[in-house]
Amino acid sequence: MKWYQHPSVIDRLAASYVLGTLQGGARRRFESVMYSQLAVAAAVASWTEQMSPLLTTLTSIAPSQALWTSISSKAGIEQPIAAPKASWWQQWLAPIFAPLPAGALALGVALGVVTPALWQAQTLSQRQAVLPESYVGVLATPEGKTGLTVSSLRQGKIVELQQTKVVTLPAEKILYLWRIDKAGQVTPVAAIPNEKWGRITLAEPAEAVFFSAVELAVSMEPIGSTPSKPSQAFIYRGLCGKFWKWM
Amino acid sequence: MDDRLDVERLLSRIGLRDAVAFKSLYTLVSPRLMAVAYRVVQDRALAEDVLQEVFIRVWNESMPRPPGQPKTWAWLCVATRNRAIDVIRTKKPETPLSWLDNNGDEHFHDVEDDAHSPLAELLAHEDGQRLGQCMKRLESEPRQALLLAFYDGLTHPQIASRMQRPLGTIKAWTRRSMLRLKDCMEDTV
Repeated sequence: MKWYQHPSVIDRLAASYVLGTLQGGARRRFESVMYSQLAVAAAVASWTEQMSPLLTTLTSIAPSQALWTSISSKAGIEQPIAAPKASWWQQWLAPIFAPLPAGALALGVALGVVTPALWQAQTLSQRQAVLPESYVGVLATPEGKTGLTVSSLRQGKIVELQQTKVVTLPAEKILYLWRIDKAGQVTPVAAIPNEKWGRITLAEPAEAVFFSAVELAVSMEPIGSTPSKPSQAFIYRGLCGKFWKWM
Repeated sequence: MDDRLDVERLLSRIGLRDAVAFKSLYTLVSPRLMAVAYRVVQDRALAEDVLQEVFIRVWNESMPRPPGQPKTWAWLCVATRNRAIDVIRTKKPETPLSWLDNNGDEHFHDVEDDAHSPLAELLAHEDGQRLGQCMKRLESEPRQALLLAFYDGLTHPQIASRMQRPLGTIKAWTRRSMLRLKDCMEDTV
């Protein structure tokens, strides 16, 4: 029997892991099991929550002003651009024409927004002008790169899949799609093709399969298996979005 | 932290590449995460390096996370601490853990200011009172061993060396203390 089949051993090692006393090879081995065994992951999550007040109650320390600039730059997020200074003639004319932009804006809105809206309402009333209600999952690789998008009509049974790059699968392995609910419960969905563009048909409508999902994930599983939990670490994981209005 | 739900909501938005949510999260939690990183690395510049890496990983969705582990405030704090510990473990200590001054008096690198000890801060904070009370029930030395591991990222042999106790004693202290903490936390729910 493996150690991760003993709850008391799992709990003891998870405690050591969260405390930070699990070292070197033992830590790495523990982590590799943690990513595939939900009981181990759950024990770590539980210890994380229990010990976190030691960290969350520390007295705040303000980081330097430069830190956000550096982070946003490295993350590729654009900083708000300061409005260019008005030229001398714009400054000189501003008091004279100050009331004009409000009127111009109103006219612009009337011509640019209201008129087309009225036109559409009259002529396109029968046309669906919104994105159909859909589930969309954007799954990333462990390195944080987009790896797979999963989409399905809310009431449809077809799931479209698009992989950024087809993965190299070991022999006797297939890709398997999972849904993860708010409580972190992982539930099998279906085997999926390892193709750039793929498609599967669900046994029931997407609404029944994905409604409780907050995340979707993909693991490699033995061919022909019907796994009840992932046998190894996820190769893709990401949020599952619901694209429709709630009211 | 009262903003716990806000943190979870912002982390979800960031998963959808929402830059405004990312900035909001930074504004909300960076001073607290800075405290977490600084508590471990004891160096402001190094703590900012840790924070930068943590936020970039959050943005890129590449922060290690066990399956089923929700993105919570606790997870973010522990992930920051883990990253800080990784940083100090890869750096050779620039100052010895303890040293003698010219008068022959022994000094330790991480002597705590009693007024701002982790335990005092825990007890002063509503979120930490339960854990703080349970920590108080531990004997002084095992509690110190636990805090050296948790905050300073010290290994069992390092704690043994620091506290001048046998390695086996330190291992037993930390293991028993964690179990006692768990029992205590469950009893006080």
